[in-house]
Amino acid sequence: MVKGKRMWVGSFAIAGLLLTGCSSSGDDAGTASASPAESAGGDAANIAAVIKGLDNPFFQAMEDGINASAQESGAQVTVQAATSITDTTGQAEKLTAMAQQDFNCFVVNPISGTNLVQALAPVAAAGTPIVNIDSPIDEAAAKEADVVAKTYIGTNNEAAGGKAGDYMVETISSGQVALIGGIAGDVTSQARLDGFTAAVDGKLDIVQTTSADWERQKALTAATDIMAANPDLKGFFAANDDMGLGIARAVANVGKTSQIAVISVDGNEDALRAVDAGDLTATVAQYPYEIGALGVQACEAVLAGQEIPTNIESPTALVTKDNAQQALAAFPAPFEEYQNPLSGS
Amino acid sequence: MSTVSPAVTDAGERVGLGSRLASAPWPELAAPLGLVALIIVFGLLDPTFVSGGNIEAMLQASAILVVLAVGQTFVVATAGIDLSMASVMTLGAIVLGLVYTGTDNIWLAMVAGVAAAGAVGLINGTIIAKGRITDFIVTLGALSAASGLALIISDGKPITVLNRAMLKLASSGIGPLNWSVIIAAVVAVAAHFALFNSRFGLHVLATGGSEESARAVGVRTARVKIAVYTLSGVLAGVGAILLVARVGAAEPASNTSFLLNSVAAVVLGGVSLFGGRATIIGPVMGALLLTALVNGLTLLGLSQFYQPLAVGIVVVLAALLTRFQK
Repeated sequence: MVKGKRMWVGSFAIAGLLLTGCSSSGDDAGTASASPAESAGGDAANIAAVIKGLDNPFFQAMEDGINASAQESGAQVTVQAATSITDTTGQAEKLTAMAQQDFNCFVVNPISGTNLVQALAPVAAAGTPIVNIDSPIDEAAAKEADVVAKTYIGTNNEAAGGKAGDYMVETISSGQVALIGGIAGDVTSQARLDGFTAAVDGKLDIVQTTSADWERQKALTAATDIMAANPDLKGFFAANDDMGLGIARAVANVGKTSQIAVISVDGNEDALRAVDAGDLTATVAQYPYEIGALGVQACEAVLAGQEIPTNIESPTALVTKDNAQQALAAFPAPFEEYQNPLSGS
Repeated sequence: MSTVSPAVTDAGERVGLGSRLASAPWPELAAPLGLVALIIVFGLLDPTFVSGGNIEAMLQASAILVVLAVGQTFVVATAGIDLSMASVMTLGAIVLGLVYTGTDNIWLAMVAGVAAAGAVGLINGTIIAKGRITDFIVTLGALSAASGLALIISDGKPITVLNRAMLKLASSGIGPLNWSVIIAAVVAVAAHFALFNSRFGLHVLATGGSEESARAVGVRTARVKIAVYTLSGVLAGVGAILLVARVGAAEPASNTSFLLNSVAAVVLGGVSLFGGRATIIGPVMGALLLTALVNGLTLLGLSQFYQPLAVGIVVVLAALLTRFQK
């Protein structure tokens, strides 16, 4: 038992070390948040951001945008993320914990339409402004819990799918194409597929639409099967880059890279490189970095008492081999100029 | 008194109350003492941690895990393990969502969800007890099968459950105690009495302690096993109700962290993975500790990448403690 006791003390010594490790970062946030308030004489932005899992480069870029924008304007921001794309309750618990702290604006990117609604209810009840980015909060559920977001900032996914469709028509002009979406029934995936379908309607022949749960390896398998079933296939459209890269690999495996066009949506860094290398035909880049930055700017505008639009569209751009270098150089910021809807005021 | 009965039924090591106190049961104290230590450390680092609002939030956040951990405890007490709990909960949530969408009757939907989850538990238990296949394999298979079934019947789509009763369940309660917290507390108290003050509990611990001796004294161990897996399924169904209330939707993508955490809470609670020795308060404390750990790390603004690491370290340390008691 003496041995047991020693073990026990040891375990807490380690736990203690872990905790001191994190206390330093906690302290920064605490002291730093106090100082700008004093210097600016109140109303300094102290923003809490809760986003999806940082295991995906898309949300890493979003976090970078949030931090960069806050740093530029001198706002305080604390970013917390879910541990994975299925961690709906964990994300809600993190938001609930942050709602206890002293933040004056919340930027949220919910995993599902409803998973953060309960946790947002006390935030809304306290009158703290909420800015919804990237994935929309379910309107009916939000209404039921009296949650109102000041604005929604995100990509117009139908337009993004449309850009991909237009370029597919331009590239192959006619023939068979197959579509691979994310999780069946996912609103974002559906909007992209709808946009693509509308753009190629009457020009290309869609032979199959399937879903690969946003995963690279599942898309690779699905694409291999689809090519076997449709030897004349000329193109693939994927609802995200990870799946697009999986498809590109499948196409390369059967030696058809020059005959089958693969276009996806997102503009992740590895997808941009693949476009530059010619493995991927094109990607419609959306800018999570800008979405994050706009979220912070929207919070600042609201706190400064400005009126902001209830719906803000973040930019997208088609990246092909011609401008992939340029896009990579500017990454994660947009390589094309766009009108910032919040800077005009 | 309750601490005596498991020791007495444990055929392997007979430990009296006196010597038990003298030899301080460290594994069983790990979770409560760890929880106190966490509260002190986090409370000092960030006073928000010990604010009333945050404590309420933590209790609410731990409700699902408490219910799952209680179910897992019964299984582990018979020297088994239920790896399918998290995906059975997902299946229960989907059935709840589908029945609600179809009938608009939330009570019927809740019963259907719990029944579906219980049915998977019953199948698990029957195969393990009658088919004599390792629990590990059977429940691992059930993990995959249940999540597949959830995907099939939902067509992979999340089902939004907008209902006033469900909303109330997650957002109101008696005084500072949320309904989901009250439900979890009722489950835990009932489980405590079932384990220590009923013939069923006695048989569960006897089966876990030594299956042969239990059978020799007339315990129908196969029945006991079927019962604990069914109970674990039913509690996964209760967890499903709390889950749907919490996130406002039934989602077919299974929330895998609940699997690790339910086992982790049981281990933290000092329940022997070899069966025969269990408490309910231990795993409940374990569940609270795991929730408090993540909550505290969030308040300190630590990157979420460190959180699974911290949870993992805490769990393995707790398991080491159990080992040292042998």
